Amino acid sequence: MSEHRGSIAEAVAGIIGELSGPEAVRLAEPHGWNEPAWRALAEAAFTTVAVPEEHGGSGGDIADACEVLTAVGRFAAAVPVAENCLLAGWALSSAGLALPGGPVTMAVGHPADTAVLRGNTASWRLNARLHRVPWARQATHIALLADLEEVPHVVLVPHADAEIQPGSNLAGEARDGVVVDAVVPHAVPAPAGIDTGTLRLRGALGRAAAMSGALARINELTLAYTGTRQQFGRTIDRFQAVQRHIVRIAEHANAAAIAVEAAAANARPLPDVFDVAAAKIVCGEASGIVAAAAHQAHGAIGMTKEYELGQLTRRLWSWRDEFGTEALWSELLGEQLAAAGAAALWPRISTGRVVGNE
Amino acid sequence: MRFATTVLTPAELELRAQVRDFLRTELPPEHKPGLGMAAEHDPEFSCKLAAAGWVGMAIPPKYGGRGRSVVDRFIVTEELLSAGAPIGAHFVADRQTAPVLLRYGSEAQREYFLPRICAGECWFSLGMSEPDSGSDLASVRTTARQVDGGWLVNGTKVWTSGAHKNHYFAVLCRTSPADGDRHEGLSQLIVDLSAAGVRISPIHFLNGAHHFNEVSLTDVFVPDGMVLGQLGSGWQQVTSELSYERAGPDRFLSVFTTFRHYLAELAQPPSPQAARAIGSLAAQFWTIRQLSLSVARALDEGRAMRAEPALVKDIGTRFEQRAIELLRSVAETELDPESDSMFARLLAEAVLTGPSFTLRGGTTEILRSVARKGLRG
Repeated sequence: MSEHRGSIAEAVAGIIGELSGPEAVRLAEPHGWNEPAWRALAEAAFTTVAVPEEHGGSGGDIADACEVLTAVGRFAAAVPVAENCLLAGWALSSAGLALPGGPVTMAVGHPADTAVLRGNTASWRLNARLHRVPWARQATHIALLADLEEVPHVVLVPHADAEIQPGSNLAGEARDGVVVDAVVPHAVPAPAGIDTGTLRLRGALGRAAAMSGALARINELTLAYTGTRQQFGRTIDRFQAVQRHIVRIAEHANAAAIAVEAAAANARPLPDVFDVAAAKIVCGEASGIVAAAAHQAHGAIGMTKEYELGQLTRRLWSWRDEFGTEALWSELLGEQLAAAGAAALWPRISTGRVVGNE
Repeated sequence: MRFATTVLTPAELELRAQVRDFLRTELPPEHKPGLGMAAEHDPEFSCKLAAAGWVGMAIPPKYGGRGRSVVDRFIVTEELLSAGAPIGAHFVADRQTAPVLLRYGSEAQREYFLPRICAGECWFSLGMSEPDSGSDLASVRTTARQVDGGWLVNGTKVWTSGAHKNHYFAVLCRTSPADGDRHEGLSQLIVDLSAAGVRISPIHFLNGAHHFNEVSLTDVFVPDGMVLGQLGSGWQQVTSELSYERAGPDRFLSVFTTFRHYLAELAQPPSPQAARAIGSLAAQFWTIRQLSLSVARALDEGRAMRAEPALVKDIGTRFEQRAIELLRSVAETELDPESDSMFARLLAEAVLTGPSFTLRGGTTEILRSVARKGLRG
């Protein structure tokens, strides 16, 4: 990516601003994704950011991809960018496989998933049962990790070989069950560092970035609405009771943004567990608080299908649980900090952003 | 509104390492940490810290300071607070009075007070609130009447932290009657707390501790040279002073030592509930610290900060209160101020003092009004 940071968000906004405007989001919902937005982003090479060019990507780093995802969240765009860039793109290119045209999604290891590989390089056979795979029904390929005699392999399954059981999240985004019992063309032993833990970490960072975008947009919507809506002869932002909601939203939207910015900047070359866990926890907690406050400030209009707020809050209520809830990440982070001991606590907390732009 | 992440420079990291070394030497392992800025009053510690160059850091060298940046001061302050260091003697003078003197004080005042503050030897209290003036500060009734060579001050100030130990306080008072705009006619006077006519009586905190005082002023003579800034500009000065005190590390680190001692005394491995509490608190500390640091960096870069400091204070202080409740919920013990456990003693103190976090320096409700105006831009 040659774009300077900040201009990526602007470029993405230019591309999907209309294609994923509130009306377009409403029309896309029954389809489980926003195909026009995906096509436009793919044409501009924003769907393969952070995937090396020699493996079919557009280059750039994780921070660039997070900037794309923040814009995706802001416009409530139902597109598998995180799956294509940060998950499948990374796993396939690391394993030396080219990233197909896509969209390619990836199963990261739902607790109920099973995936067993048999055979050898001449012929691979995969038996898999996967749960809540994002946008599986729209994907040209589904990537996953499957064990061959306890050795994890990166496997790529063409859409035609997968039986899809459609499902969705609260925002109507496809989250599908997938059953595979087929001969598959590609399986490569997973390189060191590619496992369900590192995949989940990347997915969590991607969702945190999208959440920070949605939170920023809710902040703008609430300021605009409360600054124009009049009751008792004045705009409702004049009332201290309403100010409480406005300020709370601004605080949590900004906290989420700075946490994502630090986690994304530090994720070069690889995401750090503390940073990403903290960002996902902070964005997840912010989502619940901000959604409640924004709906309260908006009143009944916010509860309608037509209005933009609900498109954003339904995503926040979904994304905060995807790739690990706050409880999961808090527990994991807490165990690490407890093991490291009290003396290491402050040094870690006071290590914010450490990677600069140059 | 923009809070940007910032990377500490090698020189800033070196400063931090020096402060950590200093604190390892100065604070014995059995030291009972303070809760943020309500820490112990320890003149010896303040002098040692000053000798190291870490009091009045952002004041220019010609007034005894070190001419360091806001971020440098942030780094020193967060290290002190996270260790629960006894900063009570010099903290308010360093945080609040010194920058106000530098900005509004006369040359004579700067030359007299700033070197003493930077040496950790001259301590200030704040003289804003009164029995009938809290959030509505412009309603203060303390008056100063002009006499030969100075002013006679009459009135009563309350919630004056440390007045029984400190040397001076900057008193907001009315120097001309409020006809029309009541924000006019207010001035700040530097009052010697040992002067004739000053009577200091304790207002005990709800746990019995003595930090607060009522300070009554009866015909206290204040020479002309002790008028701080422009006569009649007290309102503008005080509001800018409050923004200095808003966004620093003292607004989110008050209960950090409680958290650290929880971790230190934790049975290993932690229960899932305990691990969740630790992870959630660490995530919030990490994030809010970066918000606060970004304000310091922005001030160094000369960017105007209006709503941001008020937002940081509000999110920081409300987080502190939630942190107390979260630690309590996983501690599963009865609160005991005399417990053998350092964590239990700190938690007991935190529960008792926590409600003040969202009162001092402007109540949450007033801050929201400040922040909302800034958000509107």
